[in-house]
Amino acid sequence: MTGPRIALAGNPNVGKTSLFNALTGARHKVGNYAGVTVDIRSGQVQTASGLVTLQDLPGTYSLTPISEDEAVAYRCLTGSDTPPPAGVLLVVDAANLARNLYLVMQLTELGLPVCIALNMMDVAREAGLAIDPQKLGQELGVRVIPTIARTGDGVPEIIDALANSASWVAPADERRRRLLASGETTSTAVDELAGPARARWLQAAHAAGTTQLLNCKSDEREALRAVDRGTAEANAAHWIERRYREVDAVLDAIGYHNTTQAAVAPAMGRSERIDRILTHRIWGLLIFVGVMALLFQSIFAWAGPLMDGIEAIMGIVADATRTWLGPGVLTDLITEGVIGGVGNVIVFVPQIALLFLFLGLLEDTGYLARAAFLIDRIMARVGLHGRAFVPLLSGYACSIPAIMGTRTISSYRDRLVTMLMIPYMSCSARLPVYLLIIAALFPAEQRVGPLTVGGLMLLAMYALSTISALLIGAVFKRTILKSPTPPLVLELPPYRIPRLRNTFLHVYDRTGDFIRGAGTVILAMTVVLWALLSFPKPAADAPESQSPISVSIGGQVGQAMEPVMAPMGQDGQMAIAILGSFAAREVFVSTLGLVHGIEGADEEDAPLRELMADAKHPDGSPKHTPLSGLAVMVFFVYACQCMSTLAVLKRETQTWRWPIFAFVSMTGLAYVLAVAVYQVGRMLGYT
Amino acid sequence: MSSLTLREQAVVAAVHGTGQLRLRLLEMGFIPGTKVTLVKRAPLGDPLEFSLRGSHLSLRTTEAALIEVQNP
Repeated sequence: MTGPRIALAGNPNVGKTSLFNALTGARHKVGNYAGVTVDIRSGQVQTASGLVTLQDLPGTYSLTPISEDEAVAYRCLTGSDTPPPAGVLLVVDAANLARNLYLVMQLTELGLPVCIALNMMDVAREAGLAIDPQKLGQELGVRVIPTIARTGDGVPEIIDALANSASWVAPADERRRRLLASGETTSTAVDELAGPARARWLQAAHAAGTTQLLNCKSDEREALRAVDRGTAEANAAHWIERRYREVDAVLDAIGYHNTTQAAVAPAMGRSERIDRILTHRIWGLLIFVGVMALLFQSIFAWAGPLMDGIEAIMGIVADATRTWLGPGVLTDLITEGVIGGVGNVIVFVPQIALLFLFLGLLEDTGYLARAAFLIDRIMARVGLHGRAFVPLLSGYACSIPAIMGTRTISSYRDRLVTMLMIPYMSCSARLPVYLLIIAALFPAEQRVGPLTVGGLMLLAMYALSTISALLIGAVFKRTILKSPTPPLVLELPPYRIPRLRNTFLHVYDRTGDFIRGAGTVILAMTVVLWALLSFPKPAADAPESQSPISVSIGGQVGQAMEPVMAPMGQDGQMAIAILGSFAAREVFVSTLGLVHGIEGADEEDAPLRELMADAKHPDGSPKHTPLSGLAVMVFFVYACQCMSTLAVLKRETQTWRWPIFAFVSMTGLAYVLAVAVYQVGRMLGYT
Repeated sequence: MSSLTLREQAVVAAVHGTGQLRLRLLEMGFIPGTKVTLVKRAPLGDPLEFSLRGSHLSLRTTEAALIEVQNP
């Protein structure tokens, strides 16, 4: 990146993303900030005096480092990891000045050169909020440019301002002195060490218990430890009040509609009318269920044809490659390992794209905040924020997009709890496993009330997975990831028409991020798994009845696991199928087919069903019974049989620790519970 | 503040609680002297929607209970 670096800051929901896209023409790259999982986008703006690098900070209401987003914004602006930016382009919502100016006060304290983009001028005008940008600029002592980012109004002026960023000035020094005066606060040991501006941020983080989010120097950490937390909190509260006093002084000076004196929200008039229906006691809930059903349907069903198409294309590519290269081990490696692996990555793209398309539209319209508002009561029982609902629901379709969707959760611990809960939700890849086993082992005609036994079993598996996910979440919140239920404190922004371009860019970013971040791991695992299930090849004089997969390393390991599998009522062949399903759960079906010498089996495959139903132990008793089938299904409810989930967990947590934890704990739990089901069932006389 | 009736207006007197939550509430504008109105209760009874400083914020009942208000 070249040219001066300008940070783009602002509250959430102020059109910061629209402005970023308008300025950079969407040419940007996404990077992670050291040690945290918050993305920072940077893009370049072509100005009259050359390129300027624009760094898009997370949208935050404040810079006090309490949440991860705020800590990142604070660290970036104060230059604690990289040199501080040359200036800050601050996006301010003209229709919501009484809240937005708080961030201006914090920037004033930092003393960085600032230029303000006074956005949403149209919304302010519509709401009858008269505002004179020049007057505001004079009062704050910085340049203020009115913009309407959605239509592009004011963007050329911003580009001009970026060209002359060297001439930007810090906000009025007089106000800075007033803000930084010690006043009635109690002085502490960090004041001298860090200087007044930094000291107040350190103390606020100390009071909030979030100093781990700052990379403070060891002497600062030492000094902070000696500071009484109550004192730090009283100081921090005092500073917050003082900033708001300054905000009110600015509002008075420019004659802005004084929203602090009357608790009305002029910019919310239309939204309040819409909310009379959308958060209505009855209609609101019905519409919520409808929207969620649509979201779920899209990733569960609409993605299906696209995924089938991708698989068909990969099949054609593999066939063509096979014909072109001729038979051989190398050909198998390329077609089954590499092309198969690429297919395993791309196959997730439709679901990811659809989920992020939905999430983006819901977020941009303002409905996602309402969804959290409607469902928070239930999520709070688990100890989570209302925002955790949509990712959890998506988990029924597929863990991969769902885990990626947890980024809307601001607390890292809660995000992690949600990510660890998601793989327990019964995803669509488990369905073929349940269907095969139910069709093969449960009598189709037997009924319990209106349901067939099979239907009841299927329902039971979904209920089991849902209850387990919620229980696991509640347990994690109280044990290994102990943290209080996050405060809701959720802004309900005005409803807006979404900008499709911004949403599509976001979808593109997240999909690309998945392919780069998780794709390589999935590809590598596919190749390794293929090799384990393909080598060694059976001897040339091997009997016809011996399937090639059963002599491979994976097959031998599976056979050797027979004693381990016996307590849950399974044999070595099932063990091989379970090992193979690590590629993806639905592969269980085709692997089981291969073990029985059937190529390309699916859950509708009649010969496979019959083989399973008819398989006998040497003593003549059936190998697979309803009880052993139930044990396998319970195993699949819990087991983390999905390398792609692990790869995406690694990508999102930036460490192997959590994917390993998820794999070991889930598979362990799966085994114990499957054994318990089989043994207890036998004790009760079931077969 | 959690016991306000719908559409009732009040003035923030003090924010109780400690640490992170208290600072968060203050930073979102619940500082003494600020006028607030209870706009709505969520369909399931919790959380609550308040209007203050020109925007709408949602708080759980337990969070709103930390904010002491007096009538204007």
